[in-house]
Amino acid sequence: MQRRLMTLMMAAATALAAAGCATMGASSHVDSGFDFARLRTFDWGSPDAFPLGDPRLDKNPIFLDHLHGAVEKQLAARGYERPVTGRPQLLIHFHANIDRRLNINAADAKYGYCLDDACRAGAREYEAGTLIVDVIDVRTNRLVWRGWAQDSVEGVLEDRDRLVRMVDAGVARMFVNFPAGALKGLQ
Amino acid sequence: MRRMLRYTSAALTMATCLASCAPVRVNSYAVPMTDMRSYRTYTWDVAELESTGDPRLDHNRFFKERVQEAIDAQMRFRGYEKVAGGTPDMTLHIHARVQQRIDSAQIDGAGGSCSQDECRSYVYDEGTLLIDIMNARTRSLIWRGWAERSLDGIVDNQDLMNQTIDRAVSVICARLPVRRLSGGRPLFARDE
Repeated sequence: MQRRLMTLMMAAATALAAAGCATMGASSHVDSGFDFARLRTFDWGSPDAFPLGDPRLDKNPIFLDHLHGAVEKQLAARGYERPVTGRPQLLIHFHANIDRRLNINAADAKYGYCLDDACRAGAREYEAGTLIVDVIDVRTNRLVWRGWAQDSVEGVLEDRDRLVRMVDAGVARMFVNFPAGALKGLQ
Repeated sequence: MRRMLRYTSAALTMATCLASCAPVRVNSYAVPMTDMRSYRTYTWDVAELESTGDPRLDHNRFFKERVQEAIDAQMRFRGYEKVAGGTPDMTLHIHARVQQRIDSAQIDGAGGSCSQDECRSYVYDEGTLLIDIMNARTRSLIWRGWAERSLDGIVDNQDLMNQTIDRAVSVICARLPVRRLSGGRPLFARDE
């Protein structure tokens, strides 16, 4: 049983290493002095001057639709809604960035995460994606929250299902500590 | 299994150390023939921090404002005065850059966290924070200080990021001449 468990763990770790040895990281920065609890409405800001960073994501309806849906789901769960009329109190912007980064997989062998041939040490490049969601206070036009998720996107942009799963997981993880709005108490 | 736990423990120890005990390299220089006694007031250059190399920090006001607040506190402590209007003596600029680096040294051999062939190369993100002080009238550089360190695990934790900024600014500004306003004593002295 123990041997089988070890084999499974090795297989999982090797799969992660093959995907660029990067597990998803997500976190956020917040304006701790800003009172989110008095707010209830949000909307999407107009596209800004920042390109999405990769032509495979620009105007990609799968990416954009799921990103919008995932963010709206997280905000709704925390007591925010889109306004029926009038100006929203919060504006949402997003940016996506893809960089080529280097991975040295010798560390996998070092800590026993791979076996024999899978442990061949070496450096290789992989595509690292960063998805950033910014929340702007409309009244002051200031950033009050920024969340992000980072992961290897090797083979993800060409695979609809993996892209959707990654967007959903990244948005859910970055919003973990997003402050609740005024409607939360009414839910 | 015990061997794996030992290695996992070593990995966690190394990761914690990389995040919290990473050394800070600091340096500075003043432009020769600069008479710092003629500078007292300063203002901030309003340029946004962009293209830092880390998209989490680009246009990130939490990062930029923390750096500015830390520098303001250090400048105030050293006798410099921030002014909102008028004609300041100096303009301050900050630059930040994050680059992926490879450390092929025997990283923990000296610390005992690994030994012999267990000490391998690794990659990390190195951050550089640079402060430029310009002559506001001529727009020429009069002083530059910078600090470099590993940022692994730092940006994802806002409290840790703030502590790292405070420490980096503190070690940079420790190299800045101190202005003393009381009569009879030297206007400037190194506070080291």
